[in-house]
Amino acid sequence: MDEFKIILFLCNWGPHTAFQTLQDNGSEIPDEVSMIRIPCTGRISKSLLFKAFEMGADGVVLAGCKPGTCRYGSGTATARENTEDTRDIIGLLGLGKERLRHVTFLPDESDLLLQFLNDFCNQIRSLGPSPMAPIRIPESEVISRESVAEIVSYHDAFACQDCGKCSSACPLALIGKPFSPRELVNSIIAGDMDSPSVNKDVWSCLTCGLCYDRCPSAVNFPEFMRDIRHVIRKNGGNAHEAHGGFFQSLMRAMTSPGLKTERWDWLPQDAEVDSKSKILFFGGCTPYFDIFFRNHLGVETLNILKDSLRLLNFFDIKPALLQDERCCGHDLLWSGDQENFLKLAAINVDSIHNLGIDEVITACPECYRTLAHDYPKHGIKLNFKVTHIYELLENEISKGAIDFKKIDKKITFQDSCRLNWLESPADLPRKLIRRLKPSSFREMQNNGSSAICCGNCAWTGCDAFSKALQVKRLRQAHATESDLLVTACPKCQIHLRCAMEDPFLGEELKMEMIDLTGIIAKTIYWE
Amino acid sequence: MTDSQNHKQKKKEIIITGFGGQGIILAGIILGKAAAIGEHRESTLVQSYGPESRGGSCSAQVVISDEMIHYPYVNHPDILVCMSQSGYDKLIKQMKENGTLIIDQNLVHPARGLKCDFFSIPATSMAEELGRVMIANIIMLGFLTAVTEIISMDAAQKSVTESVPKGTEKLNTKAFKKGHDYGLATLKGRQKKAAGQAGAIS
Ligand code: SF4
Ligand code: SF4
Ligand code: SF4
Repeated sequence: MDEFKIILFLCNWGPHTAFQTLQDNGSEIPDEVSMIRIPCTGRISKSLLFKAFEMGADGVVLAGCKPGTCRYGSGTATARENTEDTRDIIGLLGLGKERLRHVTFLPDESDLLLQFLNDFCNQIRSLGPSPMAPIRIPESEVISRESVAEIVSYHDAFACQDCGKCSSACPLALIGKPFSPRELVNSIIAGDMDSPSVNKDVWSCLTCGLCYDRCPSAVNFPEFMRDIRHVIRKNGGNAHEAHGGFFQSLMRAMTSPGLKTERWDWLPQDAEVDSKSKILFFGGCTPYFDIFFRNHLGVETLNILKDSLRLLNFFDIKPALLQDERCCGHDLLWSGDQENFLKLAAINVDSIHNLGIDEVITACPECYRTLAHDYPKHGIKLNFKVTHIYELLENEISKGAIDFKKIDKKITFQDSCRLNWLESPADLPRKLIRRLKPSSFREMQNNGSSAICCGNCAWTGCDAFSKALQVKRLRQAHATESDLLVTACPKCQIHLRCAMEDPFLGEELKMEMIDLTGIIAKTIYWE
Repeated sequence: MTDSQNHKQKKKEIIITGFGGQGIILAGIILGKAAAIGEHRESTLVQSYGPESRGGSCSAQVVISDEMIHYPYVNHPDILVCMSQSGYDKLIKQMKENGTLIIDQNLVHPARGLKCDFFSIPATSMAEELGRVMIANIIMLGFLTAVTEIISMDAAQKSVTESVPKGTEKLNTKAFKKGHDYGLATLKGRQKKAAGQAGAIS
């Protein structure tokens, strides 16, 4: 049965001694178990646990020391949390929680260890092979001059006048990072792809679009970066992924056609959905984010989906849900993995077409942009229209007979980059905010077309300057004397919350946050 | 008028009141035409020359019926549409018991505790939003059509496009739709409130 692959991460201390006893005694350890000796289970992050599945494991065990016997103190507790989070995530993914276990053994518990391994192997055998197709790591080639030249000419980067307007607008440059889009464009045009600065800086751009807005030659720098990233990554370049690449792995995993995802598990009892509806609600990845960050940031981005469904129901819309919904692929596309982005796009669009949907509604700016704009741009035809929920809300509310309860909060607003640079939805959030009844609404110093990004995009290139940017942004929010920061994107909540966890500045930066859908759902009523 | 009880379903008497220049009479014409031409029913229109015509105020008396109309004047309307405070003050006392009162909330402040079916719409400010205060009457007509259903949406809309000045059909259709949507939303809101679901979070 060794077509099954079981990865055993084994802590160097307690359990390894037990394992060694088995080996010394010549005990029959199941063939499918591949043991990886590690210094401490606490160091096996969620991304490493998940990576094992991504690379084709059918089951994964993290075996460490009994609570209280961890040599480093906190290893066992950390391992337990990491395993719990990863188990819940692979549960949503449709892989089955049972495929991942955290166990602890004392050095002299070799019999128990053997028994466990046999039981676990039997269990995995009865579950069958993992529905996830192992991800092929592309072989790296040398970056060809032609491929770069093609991108340069596609985006007409030659038109760059070397004026530096981009660099003087870029929030990363303004925060003090030695980073210049102007210089980057020029180095790439000159074919200097191997220089360490190009290789690194390409991953730093937030793709926020401020520079594009200012560029007199209309060089679409963010999309230029996106495509250059693709070339670099295809040739084995490092994508500077945040969180050990967990999210990229997760999204790639969703390209396996065999997965039956369970991402609507959390659906509230009172949410009214209708599988025959011609209107589909596309949720996005927030259920995964909340699990991943629950022990650290404690964000509740899932509320965005719950509140959106409530608002649709409020207007008597009972949408269909895509049971087999996958990630839209935004983060893969923007971190250079076009191949897997295209796979996700094809699966999603196929399943939506199969349901005979006329209109897809989403509350996520990234899903919106990706479905409405990037799918067609990448040659994927849609037989449905894509609507951002703000558009729908504004439309319904303007019909009348709707009012909003007063809220005793002073609010300010964090723009979403992905909505800001698309024509139609850009001014919608403010239209909606103006309808609300807070004690006050004050804009931050940088707002609208000069708004500052939340500090990260596509889980790529997060560093100390991202943090500096977030600190600046949150200080601007506080300077408005507001006590509630309204956001329009789940990622803004995650990344900004991250800065609020800073051990030194955290207290100063903390501010309550709520998504725009949340504040609308809480206060809207029929007149 | 003695057996008005019997004709309740079949005959409706409406007064639209406001001040000159609001297109009150035009609204009456469109309403009557929709019933007569669009739905092949009987209708009459009387432009009011009563005391209320002083001070620039005016009103249209419309009767819509399935049977021949013998008397075109309306003394006690089933439906009273007010687009001015003075019109409201004059006519509210004449409205039938359990009649329907419809006001432009930008212009009329009704008394509290009225015992009638009551609907209100900010027609004037909605017209401003559409760029022409002039079309508040058409917005009102759309609203009236939605909340009272005395004429069908199709007949009303057709009557609007046929009666308004050439070249303004598109804007007027839009205005009609806006008022109609507002009416439907108002009805939906009532229904939701009656079911105890006024908000999005129960
Ligand atoms: S703003 Fe545009 S033209 Fe100016 S340096 Fe940047 S890319 Fe070149
Ligand atoms: S997209 Fe944003 S982060 Fe990237 S270079 Fe332009 S302004 Fe700077
Ligand atoms: S800001 Fe925080 S949450 Fe966001 S990518 Fe960086 S480390 Fe992760």
